[in-house]
Amino acid sequence: MALTVWDYLPVIFSGITNTLILTLAGVGLGFALGIPMAFAEVLGPRPVQLAIRWVGRVIRGIPLLVLLFIIFFGFPNIGITLPPIPSAILAIGIRSAAYQAQLFRGAVEGVGYGQLEAALSIGLTRWGAFRHVILPQALRLAIPGWVNEFTIVLKDTSLAYAIGVTEVFTQAVHVAQVILDYLTPLLVVAAIYFTITFTASRLAESVYRRVSVPGLGGGAAL
Amino acid sequence: MIDDILYIVERYWPLLLEGLKNTIIITAASYSIGVALGLSLALLRSYGPKALAAAVTAYVEAFRGTPMLVQLFIVYYSLPAFGIVLDPLTAAIVAIGLNSGAYQSEYFRGALAAIPRGQWEAALSIGLRKWAAVRYVILPQAWRVALPALTNELIYLLKYSSIAYFVTVPELVFMGKYIGSRTYMYLQVYTVITVIYVTLALTISEGMSRLERRLSVPGVSITGRGQ
Amino acid sequence: MTVVLKVEDLWKSYKKNEVLRGVTFSVNEGETKVIIGPSGTGKSTLLRCINLLVRPDKGRIFLDGEEITRPGINEARVRSRIGFVFQHFNLFLHLTALENVMLGLTKVKGMPKEKAEEAAKKALLSVGITEDLWHKYPAQLSGGQKQRVAIARAIAMNPRLILFDEPTSALDPELIGEVLKVMEKLAKEGMTMLVVTHEIGFAMKVADEVMFMDGGRIIERGPPQEVILRPKNERTRRFLSRIWELYDLGVRG
Repeated sequence: MALTVWDYLPVIFSGITNTLILTLAGVGLGFALGIPMAFAEVLGPRPVQLAIRWVGRVIRGIPLLVLLFIIFFGFPNIGITLPPIPSAILAIGIRSAAYQAQLFRGAVEGVGYGQLEAALSIGLTRWGAFRHVILPQALRLAIPGWVNEFTIVLKDTSLAYAIGVTEVFTQAVHVAQVILDYLTPLLVVAAIYFTITFTASRLAESVYRRVSVPGLGGGAAL
Repeated sequence: MIDDILYIVERYWPLLLEGLKNTIIITAASYSIGVALGLSLALLRSYGPKALAAAVTAYVEAFRGTPMLVQLFIVYYSLPAFGIVLDPLTAAIVAIGLNSGAYQSEYFRGALAAIPRGQWEAALSIGLRKWAAVRYVILPQAWRVALPALTNELIYLLKYSSIAYFVTVPELVFMGKYIGSRTYMYLQVYTVITVIYVTLALTISEGMSRLERRLSVPGVSITGRGQ
Repeated sequence: MTVVLKVEDLWKSYKKNEVLRGVTFSVNEGETKVIIGPSGTGKSTLLRCINLLVRPDKGRIFLDGEEITRPGINEARVRSRIGFVFQHFNLFLHLTALENVMLGLTKVKGMPKEKAEEAAKKALLSVGITEDLWHKYPAQLSGGQKQRVAIARAIAMNPRLILFDEPTSALDPELIGEVLKVMEKLAKEGMTMLVVTHEIGFAMKVADEVMFMDGGRIIERGPPQEVILRPKNERTRRFLSRIWELYDLGVRG
């Protein structure tokens, strides 16, 4: 009797760990690089602002698959050889940084110049105004964008299939090739992605509600 | 490094050009499908009968909640079991187009919702019927509002057309891999390819922002979204 | 009499647009001066220069005899001594009414929390914001309430001078009165104030001097009875006749 997809479910599920590792490490690296980028772009001297804006633009113009290949296949040309998982994390993290920087910069700008003026007018320094007035509002404004970024990164970890990372999509394809049925394993893996994105959005929504302030996020108009 | 890059361009430019052609075909074709599908779905979801709207919602959530790569594999590898065999290029265009339709319907829906109620009331008050009001009053405003998101979507698709590599369409990434395997100069090849993608993306974004300026109407605000 | 604020030959232009063209005046302790004039004639820029939010191209500004336009001045310290009330309130959206007033006290003046809270409550009460509103966020307040909280935020810092930038222009007509009443009370209590406004009724009643600005200059100045009721300058007359028209139509109840 031929084995069916149900016998192979544990194989597919075993890939979830790597998928989550790639997602969390990728978003984390993106945050660690993206926030300083955003700061420098908002507060830095003019040449730094311009340089960072262009770095961001260029990175956002490159397909993730190309970044992945540059790091995994290209870096050995200059003597840097990374295993598949670190390669994937680095590629995902660099790209995510460019998006998170943009996201956070947008949130800072969304807070508005009037808030900065008011903060300065009571005698706060520029840094004090940023720390006590702009930042607490910007972080709240950025939450929905971050959730969105998380789900984008989660889905894009499937591209790591190209360099042989055994994440959940890779496992599903391998199972499909063994049982010679593509549809069922692919639907299973689709359901897994869907469940994670769905849960993450719900979770984030409750966090968002908890930190929301009337008139600032939480869906209410500014 | 510079010499290697020049060598690659000189030696392999016909392949790169062929790859670029396929990349552009996939992007343009799937984007067109996405616009048509997205607009129809948004109109159905906003103004159509309830049951249909629910079906559209399910479609949109399913496509947005799963990776494009999974969708591509379903189209290419599992449709043949149902007698639908698509060549790689067509499969890529269909899968990416269906995916983009889901996203674009959200952009259009947001834009439709952004048109103030008063516009509706005014349209109906002069005797326009529902669809005529949509056609002559709501849509002309809504698509201007949606334009920045639609620009982003085009750039997004340009980059995601690269997943056609997985089903062996000879687009840019595929050609890069091929040239790399022949020359072992992966970094150099992908540097060239990066330049091509970035140039295309910047050109699109410049062209579209010019279009936006030309089409902008005072008071019909165009508010970009974060990404 | 002590001069609190002295503005000397102030010039400012944006690109080719000259917004301020040699503005000179001073405000004495306890005085309320009102600036009137058409929109876009530099009134708002003038206030922003005084609060160092905008750098003038030329000219000097003195606060209590100290030049605050000199390079290297501690801008934050100057601003903490000058209150600013904005047209669009600019309350901190993530903070409650009470926290809005407390922020400057704790973070700028370094007051301990309990003391700051006490001072903030006192300031809020003085503008008629009662306990039931202290823990509301800006979005939950009416326009008039927002502007009174903003005034409390300025008062609480115990400033030498408060600048008002069209404080009632963004308010619904029925809410203007409550804000003007608070400002009138402040003036009576001896606060030094510089007010940009179109409310000539307020100017008549409260101002020690009215200055009419047009084209980046002060064109006419004097006691309110003279400038408002018997303007000498043709442009002042034209501007005021338009304002009076609004009064007669009952737009400003």
